[in-house]
Order: sequence, then structure tokens, then C-alpha cells
Amino acid sequence: MSLNTDFMVKVAQTAIQGVPVTLQIVLVALLISLPIGVLFALIRIYRIKGLELIVKFYVSLVRGTPIIAQILIVYSAFPSLLNMMIGKAAFSINPIYYAYIVFTLNSIATLTEVFRSALQTVDKGQMEAGLMVGMQPRQAFWRIILPQALISALPNIANATLYLIKNSSLAFIMSVKDITAIAKTEAAFNYNFLEAYLVVWVYYLIICYGAEIIFNLLERYFSKYRRSAKRTTGFNWNPFSIKQPKLVVKTDLAESERTNNAHN
Amino acid sequence: MDNIKLIINFLGQLLPAINITLIVSLSSIILGSLLGLLLAAAKMSESVVLRVLARVYVSVIRATPSIIMIFVVYYGMPMLFNNWFHTNIDGWNRMYFVIIALTVLFSAPASELFRSAHESISKGQMEAGLMVGMTPFQTFYRIILPQAFVVALPNFANSVVNLLKEGALTFTIGVVDMVAKAQMIVANNSGGYAWQTYCALALIYWVISLAVDKGVSLVEKSYQAKRKTIAV
Repeated sequence: MSLNTDFMVKVAQTAIQGVPVTLQIVLVALLISLPIGVLFALIRIYRIKGLELIVKFYVSLVRGTPIIAQILIVYSAFPSLLNMMIGKAAFSINPIYYAYIVFTLNSIATLTEVFRSALQTVDKGQMEAGLMVGMQPRQAFWRIILPQALISALPNIANATLYLIKNSSLAFIMSVKDITAIAKTEAAFNYNFLEAYLVVWVYYLIICYGAEIIFNLLERYFSKYRRSAKRTTGFNWNPFSIKQPKLVVKTDLAESERTNNAHN
Repeated sequence: MDNIKLIINFLGQLLPAINITLIVSLSSIILGSLLGLLLAAAKMSESVVLRVLARVYVSVIRATPSIIMIFVVYYGMPMLFNNWFHTNIDGWNRMYFVIIALTVLFSAPASELFRSAHESISKGQMEAGLMVGMTPFQTFYRIILPQAFVVALPNFANSVVNLLKEGALTFTIGVVDMVAKAQMIVANNSGGYAWQTYCALALIYWVISLAVDKGVSLVEKSYQAKRKTIAV
């Protein structure tokens, strides 16, 4: 193979300016869509009339169409829509905002499904137990249901994030200057496309593995809150820290005493 | 009302290009499933080297954006063929490159879902088959496979829909599929009616993926009805 290594080094240096842009798109989309995803999942679980249908329709539409079609629609519809509202200023908007819109809309749909399945894994008894001890339904949800659902959703959130990172490589269609766009323009100068895309591939691999490592660490951190029944088989340190009331079983004695009494 | 009329009009113009999309996705689903089967076999094999290789392959593919895959295959393969086999494949139909890229992309999730489906069938089934005198291949073919098929079906449909969506990137290397056609229509109208055209495009994809979902759930239901349980 005769790869132009000098060029690869050069692309690697210039394309690194695109890494923050990609990360920015991913982070903004994730942060906005996480709460909305939970909300939509709740709408679907509690079957709120009217809204449920809308959410169902939305999720099915977004999941059923390629992201490229969504990008093209948003990128062609929004500028003229904004033009009607705020005038000419709409055309000078940084295209990265359109990227935020597309990827947020897209990941809301995936996260809605993720949270819906995660919330369904939490046993109904947990809610009932919370209500039993006198919590408000809202309190029980925030303190008992949601943390458990979030923990069980983590692997799927990681998947959705990976999916989002990979899809963000299409932002170049909206003329956002992300990794792919920079590499593409570099390569176009003297037709070294293969080298440029190999460099971009490595960057995406690094970003994706980084995200995966972060999610793995999060999972490990949160797994300590997840107590399974099996854990009690190990050595139990609790008795040393918490003073438990002594329960003395005196049934035998009591019975013999009673019989004694009866004899007396 | 005008918009709806326009969208219907664009639907008519886009639909002829659906062939390319269907050919590309169908052939890469078939090839990708075969490659996925091999990978799943490699993952469950005794040899450590094969297992590690399969795992690395799957994890790399999982972290690769589809567009980068398509570009790397499109620009890399001719170079590779030139240097190793001294054959010139620049003249190949560009569809082949997309099919190869999508095959590679599809094989990773396919191998995962085959493996998990195979593992979900209890080992007793295999042992029972061997007990009554079937050969291992017979047992796999007649007992394990039908059961694993039902287990794998919903995830398979999911992957197929994903592949279909990734297949929409075919246009990036100059194959005239539906997306390219839509862009041409927009260009012909000198940028006008853009979002209506793309809405028509999205609509076609939506209908296809709804059809895949519906079809799979029907097949699943018919299999579920056949499934007999021990409980009377």
C-alpha cells in the first residue's frame, strides 16, 4: 500500500479542530434529550390521552426514517421558517444550531424507547412500597423508581450515545465544520480521500471507545447501589456498624413456663 | 393542501428509484447475515485467537460511523486490489462498494444477535436431540435453529431497519438511489420545494420500515401459535 503518511499526519493535525465540534453536538443533544426522553417515556407508560398518540407517532416516524432524510428536511425547512419569523438574520445562523436540532430530535426518539423499557423493568411493588411508607407518588417516583430505572437504562443509554456519535459524522451535510467536514475539504485538494478517511475513522474509534469507557465506569460506580439477594452470602459487615436490637427467642422457655404455671 | 399535493407528486417521482435501495439492502442483508453467522461461530469456537479476533472486529465495527465505512471501502478497495491482486476494479459498479460496506456493517449486529439467540436455547435441547440418536448437525438444524430463529426475529427486524437507514447513505458515493433522486429534483427546481421533496423521501422510508416491523410481528405471532409448551 502506498499511503501518503505525511498527508495523514497533516490531516490528523487539522482534523483535531473538529473534535470539539463533534463532542459539542453530541453533548448538547444528549443533555437536552435525556429529560425529554424521560418525560415522553412517562407519557407512554401512564397512557396520557392524546399526548400518548403524538409521542407514539413521533417515535415511530423518527425511528423509521434515515437520519439523512431528517437532516435534509430540517436543513431545508428551518431556514425559510425562521426567515418568516425573524427576517434575513435566519440565513446567517451558525449551522451547528441546525445540527443541535436534528440530533436532539433524533435522540429524543431513541431515548424515549430506552427509558420506556427501563421504567418497565422496575417492579410495581417498588412504587407500592414507597406509597406504603407514606411518600407522595411524586416523591416515590423521584427517589425510588427513577434511580433504579436510570441504572438499568445505562447500557442502553451508552448504545444511544454511540449511535449519536456515529450519526454526528453526517453533520457535514449541514456544512458544520466537524471532523468529517475538515478531513473532506483537506482531502479534496489533491485527492487523498482514503488517507483522510482513515484518520477520521481513527478519531471516531477513539471518541466511541472513550464514551464506552466512561459509561462502563458509570455502570461500575452505580452497580454498588444495586443490591441483589446474593450479596448477603458474603461476610456481612453491617452488624458491626449498626446496632441491631437483640431479638431473643424465648418460645420454648415461655411454653415450658406456661406449662409449669399450669401445673402450679 | 398544496403541500400535500406536492408531496404526492414527488412520491411518484421518487418511487422508481426504490429498486436500488431495495437491491442494495437485500443483498447486504443476505451477505451480512452469512458473514454474521461465521462471526457468531468464531465467537463461540474453542480457539482463543478466533474469539478475540471476532470480538475485536465486532467492537471496531460498532464504533465506526456508516459513512466512514462506505468511504473507506469506496476509496480503499480499488487501491488494495491494485496493490495485492494487480487488478483494476475502478470500473466496478459503485453499488458493489456500498453492498460490501453495508455487509461489513451488518455482520457485527447480526453476529451478536445470532449468538445471543443460540445461547438463549437451553443446552438440554441439544443434549435431548443427541440422546435420541440425531447427529449434531441434525439436532442443530431441526431443533436448535427453529427455536433460535423465533428468539432472534425481533432483534433481526431492528437491525434490518437500521441497515435500511444506513443504506440511505448510498448517494454519498454517487449511486442514484432515492436520496440522490430527491436531491436532483430539488436541484431541478433550483432549490424550491425542498422540504416537501424530502418529506416524500422520509415517508417512503417510514412505510418500508413500518412494513418490516409489521411483517416480522406477524411471522412471530404465527410461530408463537405453533409453539407448544409442556404445561397442559
